[in-house]
Amino acid sequence: MNRVNGVCGLFGLAFGFLFAAAGLNQYDVIHRMLLLEEIAPFLIMGSAMATALPILWLLERRRWRTPLGGPLALRRWAFERKHLWGGVVFGTGWAITGACPGTASTTLGAGSLLGIVLVVGIVAGIALRDATVRTPGTATPDSVPQSAPVGAD
Amino acid sequence: MFDVLPIPLPWYVVGPLMGLTVAGLYAVTNKHLGVSGAYVQVVDFARGRPIEGWRLWFLAGTFLGAAVVAMLGGSPQAGFGYGELGEYLSLPALVVTLFIGGVLIGFGARCAGACTSGHGLTGCATRSRGSLVAVVTFVVTAVAVTFLLHLLTGGDL
Repeated sequence: MNRVNGVCGLFGLAFGFLFAAAGLNQYDVIHRMLLLEEIAPFLIMGSAMATALPILWLLERRRWRTPLGGPLALRRWAFERKHLWGGVVFGTGWAITGACPGTASTTLGAGSLLGIVLVVGIVAGIALRDATVRTPGTATPDSVPQSAPVGAD
Repeated sequence: MFDVLPIPLPWYVVGPLMGLTVAGLYAVTNKHLGVSGAYVQVVDFARGRPIEGWRLWFLAGTFLGAAVVAMLGGSPQAGFGYGELGEYLSLPALVVTLFIGGVLIGFGARCAGACTSGHGLTGCATRSRGSLVAVVTFVVTAVAVTFLLHLLTGGDL
């Protein structure tokens, strides 16, 4: 294991802990959020952005050099139509299951066996999409970021 | 198991700490925090493409982090529980529903380039225009479909 992987694992640990500690890995919490009966998940998203945005803005301005990954290059996506229709498909799945990709791993980690079904479904959905885009073998990224060419988030 | 962690922790604790996680991962490793990319690695691996190992380490971390919470504070969905949806549907119907929903999540996230974390949290924090469009679309669609489900099930869901 190299250092980057280990550090990323630790950040994942923190993220999964916070995610589950806020109850965001539970269907009922997300369902009530999407019925607009529970506001906490929106406040979590908002305050997380409000915390990260100014820090990243400042680091970018100061031309921050990251200790493990070279000069900081923030990833951005220009608007494309697939953000809209991909968003509609994603949002439908989110509403049906009360889950997003982060929920799937954290609900599984919290001992819910049905998380396995979510994980299998998500991987199948990605494979289905990749099978419908041309030229397998080339790393056709779905969005063209300004840096980090491979994969998606 | 130990019931020492009050769940759920309040939003004003979790939100800012999540923001620090997003900014911290960028500041230390120059990586854009996002979960769905980890599942993409599984597909890439199966197709013999190069993979980004760090994403799988990150995903494994989220799994362990949630396991820690379950140990310290309990887990309402342990076993075959799935909240209100689990009470509404029989187990076979629930499995089918979650699988179909999962396919939509994976397909949509792959099209949109990222999910609720990669676009919603991190993309908005990097002031990415595509991310802002994607996350607004995610939320508006999910709210609309949830209200539709609520109506179709006569208020059971």
